[in-house]
Amino acid sequence: MFYLFYFIKNFYPTPPRVLLLVASDVDALCACKILQALFQCDHVQYTLVPVSGWQELETAFLEHKDQVKLLVKQDDDLEIPAYDDLFRDEEEDEEDSGNESEGTEPSEKRRRLEEDVVERTLKRRQKREWEARRYSAMVMFDLAWIMSKDLNDMLWWAIVGLTDQWVQDRITQMKYVTDIGTLQRHVSRHNHRNEDDENSLSIDCMRIAFEYDLRLALYQHWSLYESLCNTCYTSASLKLWSVQGQKRLQELLADMGLPLKQVKQKFHSMDISLKENLQEMIEESANKFGMKDLRVQTFSIHFGFKNKFLASDVVYATVSLMENIEKDESETDNFIRALDSLSRSNLDKLRQGLELAKKQLRAIQQTVASCICTNLVISQGPFLYCYLMEGTPDVKLFSKPVSLCLLSKYLLKSFVCSTKNKRCKLLPLIMAAPMNVEQATVIMVGIPPETESSDKKNFFGRAFEKAAESTNSRTLHNHFDMSIIELKMEDRSKFLDALTSLLS
Amino acid sequence: MDPAEAEFLAEQELVTIIPNFSLDRIYLIGGDLGPFNPGLPVQVPLWLAMNLKQRQKCRIIPLEWMDVEKLEQIRDQERKEDTFTPMPSPYYMELTKLLLNYASENIPKADEIRTLVKETWDTRIAKLRLSADSFVRQQEAHARLDNLTLMEINTAGTFLTQALDHMYKLRTNLHSGESAQSQDF
Repeated sequence: MFYLFYFIKNFYPTPPRVLLLVASDVDALCACKILQALFQCDHVQYTLVPVSGWQELETAFLEHKDQVKLLVKQDDDLEIPAYDDLFRDEEEDEEDSGNESEGTEPSEKRRRLEEDVVERTLKRRQKREWEARRYSAMVMFDLAWIMSKDLNDMLWWAIVGLTDQWVQDRITQMKYVTDIGTLQRHVSRHNHRNEDDENSLSIDCMRIAFEYDLRLALYQHWSLYESLCNTCYTSASLKLWSVQGQKRLQELLADMGLPLKQVKQKFHSMDISLKENLQEMIEESANKFGMKDLRVQTFSIHFGFKNKFLASDVVYATVSLMENIEKDESETDNFIRALDSLSRSNLDKLRQGLELAKKQLRAIQQTVASCICTNLVISQGPFLYCYLMEGTPDVKLFSKPVSLCLLSKYLLKSFVCSTKNKRCKLLPLIMAAPMNVEQATVIMVGIPPETESSDKKNFFGRAFEKAAESTNSRTLHNHFDMSIIELKMEDRSKFLDALTSLLS
Repeated sequence: MDPAEAEFLAEQELVTIIPNFSLDRIYLIGGDLGPFNPGLPVQVPLWLAMNLKQRQKCRIIPLEWMDVEKLEQIRDQERKEDTFTPMPSPYYMELTKLLLNYASENIPKADEIRTLVKETWDTRIAKLRLSADSFVRQQEAHARLDNLTLMEINTAGTFLTQALDHMYKLRTNLHSGESAQSQDF
């Protein structure tokens, strides 16, 4: 693809092209889909380059350096202060600092308009404080909306981007609800057709609907029982790793009046009479067991007779496709497959993603259960620490950053529910897992503590950097999210000691 | 002829669209198109309408015969008569398929329209089969069918002519001793 790019540059008058550098994150993928749809409608040529870290970003940027005219920020990690000066510059001679870049040569009036709008949107965004995070899918949708080119499909991708931030626990509940409200206005605008006899829409048309649905992961594509066991919220609240936990689950099911046989069947095959008031029934019973937030505001997409998906289903499926270790394919292939699965015409990929997501969730729950039962989570003083040994089942799954982050968050939530030590409940967690056995590297993530009013700020990035400097450990801070690093296995213990002294 | 070729010919039919962009008159080999003004209806060939619709640049106005009552009448008429009745457009099948696949949100009651057109199609193909069958049985030399559309002819035509060829070969082999009279087909 790069060679073609240079070929075109040398043999044709330079057409305006756009370079898209996209991070490996569901939110970035959604933003990318929205941009791609906009480009395809307007016949804008673009090059898509997946990047998984700062190094790749730099390489890709340097390769295309002479074509880049304007840098656009697309990630919410606004940690770079030099961005302000950079942004106003139309020249390309800056070093990398945006997480994604767009290069355009304004030649037509329309393209100039697009660029202006992009500039205006981003300048407005920038004026906010850097803590006010905005994830890129929503920004892209706003861009499309300002240009009056927004579609129902783009709205769905913006919804998936928002849900991804919620699933990965990167935004506060308050922000999530506010943004759901904003998106709900767009949803009503696009999907408000009064469907009476005169104007009924084809069943194949895509509709988005607001749902106040259960937060059980993938429950409509799984069985209710499996979903209850493998969702972090229910598993942690009921403490399903213990025998009493299992008994509590049985009590919960009995309280809801759902026979075990029905609940273990695939959700679609459950009795219709049981499914009718399912959500209210479950919420009532769950309240008695201390689970007050079992229902959450979200959206679902609906097209054709068979296809109904909640936003969180799509998020889990895309994450598992992106970090698929099953077939040993390159990261770019996985990225492209995950990107494709977001289109409605690639349902088979989405379903494949759902199956992989089920495996992933099961693996996470089993690992969490074993970690808690074997007391693998130890308190190092200022933080909790857990290391997954090489022989742990499914450990290869957790050599990828997003999966490891999900595992760590679930582990921390479950640990907080299981421990009686009041001090430990307020500690952050550092989780490490083997990344590459031949190169003896380990991937390490830092998760902020579980507090009600947490604003989800993660200070581990700085802490990791300082600890690495002070101990001369061989670390790689390549990932866009600075709280995820790789380091050599041998340096692990001295690194941890440095961290302990740093944070205490 | 390939069904794809028949569809290609069908794409020249004119449909009305409402664009959301503006463009001056464009001069193509096949004719002039435009000018395009946002919000004002304009007639364009189907291929352009499909392209613009997929790029979200227009809204398609349903054809006046793509209406549930009209299609019900046509279907009932077709079922009553023994011969073929005239169809609202010589490319009704291709137009229905293309418009309902790509522009179904602009067409009210798209599912019912699809069902009605399919029923009409089925009736006509059944009549075609019957008439081909009686043609072969009675060893007619020629037949005349009015009001058939190109797509229907394609569906039956290739098979019919090849089958008749085979039968001719079998018949001449059977009578190979006698002096064979050539038959017109």
